[in-house]
Amino acid sequence: MLSFFMAIAKWLQSTWWALDISGSTWAYPFVQATHFSGLSLWIGTNLALDLRLLGIGKKRRTAAELSDALFWWNWLGLLVAITGGFMLFSSAATKYIPNPAFELKLGIFIPLGIILHIVNQQKAKTWGLTPETPGIAKFMGLIELLIWFTVITCAVSIPNFDTH
Amino acid sequence: MIHFCRWLEQNSFILWLDSNVVLSLVLEIMHYSGFFLLVGSTAIVDLRVMGLAGRKEPASGLAEQLQPWMWTGFCMALFSGFFMFAADAVDFYMADWFRYKIIVVLLALIFGVLMFRYVRRRGEAQGFSAAVRLAALVSLVFWIGAILVSVEVPAISGVG
Repeated sequence: MLSFFMAIAKWLQSTWWALDISGSTWAYPFVQATHFSGLSLWIGTNLALDLRLLGIGKKRRTAAELSDALFWWNWLGLLVAITGGFMLFSSAATKYIPNPAFELKLGIFIPLGIILHIVNQQKAKTWGLTPETPGIAKFMGLIELLIWFTVITCAVSIPNFDTH
Repeated sequence: MIHFCRWLEQNSFILWLDSNVVLSLVLEIMHYSGFFLLVGSTAIVDLRVMGLAGRKEPASGLAEQLQPWMWTGFCMALFSGFFMFAADAVDFYMADWFRYKIIVVLLALIFGVLMFRYVRRRGEAQGFSAAVRLAALVSLVFWIGAILVSVEVPAISGVG
């Protein structure tokens, strides 16, 4: 299985965009900034909704109203983060594939976080009709919050497992 | 200033903090999470003022909801950022890109705070003048610039 992913990684690393990114002093930080801008929108709006579900902060707007107001920019953030992340990954794919922190981040916690976020976003329509959210909304908000902190932990741990 | 940076770098608490792998990781996680919360909440208000996000919601309501998270994010990023800076204070102080980062972040923060204040004071009134929408765009550009300069610091200067 690992050799299959390594073969794809080698191919990705030889693509023109990967070579452009890794061969330029400026391109890598620009792509990284794109990734971080997307993450700011995605994680920032996710945290705002999760904290509202938890009942922390201002309660004049319900969780349903907040979720509705943030919806499109929340998903656009993910799209930008994925685009930037894919390009960053392409530039050093063979280095990322065997990295355990990267494997945990991409293989487990990001899919889990996205699934949970979809559930929370859908359920916010019913959980968030009143200013006070029910216990299940608080629990789900907390779990999603912890998953995104775990994703960030995995991401910042990647250089610590770098063997190259 | 350089003397202060040297003193900071050699401070026993900072040395202990820097050698502690878990606490260093916690600070880094706090810095990124805080930054995402700060930029994400400010960007949404800027986009709302520009008429691009949450149009069903009054801008003042959105700003009122997100402003505490903007400040929470800022405090998290500032607190953790200080200790991250302290560990390599002299190198950061000498790096031009780090100075650019601080200037751009300050400009972005000033614009962001002014935008939040203005939007909240406007109340439930709908629609913003072209000048206010332009200011929101400038705020957004400053934050994207802040992210760009932040990632340039380690890439160009090798610090961080």
